Amino acid sequence: MEKDLKVIIVACSGIGKSFGTVSREAAYEVTGDIRPDDTQLVALSMLVMGDEKTRVAVAGNPAITIDGCKLGCATKMVQESGGTVTREFAVLEVYRRYKQFKPQGIAKLNRAGQQLASVLAEEIAVVVDEITTSNQGDLRA
Amino acid sequence: MNNLENMASHKFLEITVDKFIFKVATDRSYSREGLWVLQDGNHIRIGISDFLQQRSGDIAFVEIKPVGSLLTPGDEVTVIETIKVNISLTCPVTGAVVEVNPLLDVNPEVINKDPFGDGWLAVMEAKDWENDRQALLDAQAYFNLMIEQAGQELGK
Repeated sequence: MEKDLKVIIVACSGIGKSFGTVSREAAYEVTGDIRPDDTQLVALSMLVMGDEKTRVAVAGNPAITIDGCKLGCATKMVQESGGTVTREFAVLEVYRRYKQFKPQGIAKLNRAGQQLASVLAEEIAVVVDEITTSNQGDLRA
Repeated sequence: MNNLENMASHKFLEITVDKFIFKVATDRSYSREGLWVLQDGNHIRIGISDFLQQRSGDIAFVEIKPVGSLLTPGDEVTVIETIKVNISLTCPVTGAVVEVNPLLDVNPEVINKDPFGDGWLAVMEAKDWENDRQALLDAQAYFNLMIEQAGQELGK
């Protein structure tokens, strides 16, 4: 049975920058492989276009954003769409903690970039678990 | 108040290019690479210009030659890694590094936020300032160079 609560994952849409690609790879890993039952991937472009179905999904569920640069487009668009950003991730901040994983490449990330995306995905999964556990507690209360 | 303590009160030359606003602090000199140089007596504080930090992008890591390093113009003084590029910048003066900004280890983005103030890189003890200053640009000359470089970037 599909869960009612889904943690919305919104990544950077920046095309042409390695850090944007890392954000999307991490989002795919979380929503496709690590926590597929608890998360829903939302394309930032759908929010920018004002897609009503997407806006309702974002407004009704907690969201985690992954930004590729300081412009913070993913975070801003979720907020402007009426959503609540439970946690913001910035690829640069994660990279500063894992200097050995220097991302390079755009359409195809190098090995280090993929490793950085995986590390980021694991950190996001921890937050997803915190949100879903907390929500289950709220429902029982 | 000396020059180094007075960094927060500097004035700027300013220009808007496309969607970007670039500022040049008028109280200091500049290398053609985009390092600023602020002299106070025997001490020289250096940092990177607003234009250079904006052109380079969000900064991930900064490596600066350690305290005690003896440098001459042309020697590498810092390597800055951003989300877009790695840049190596050469020292604009002759002298010894006597202080490195301790903020940069934990908070390198301070360069992006405040390149002319809290985002300074290092302080050097000048050995040949009167000679070295001849090769530096004043604020207006760097402003003109920056406009030229910004126009070239825009045309890419």
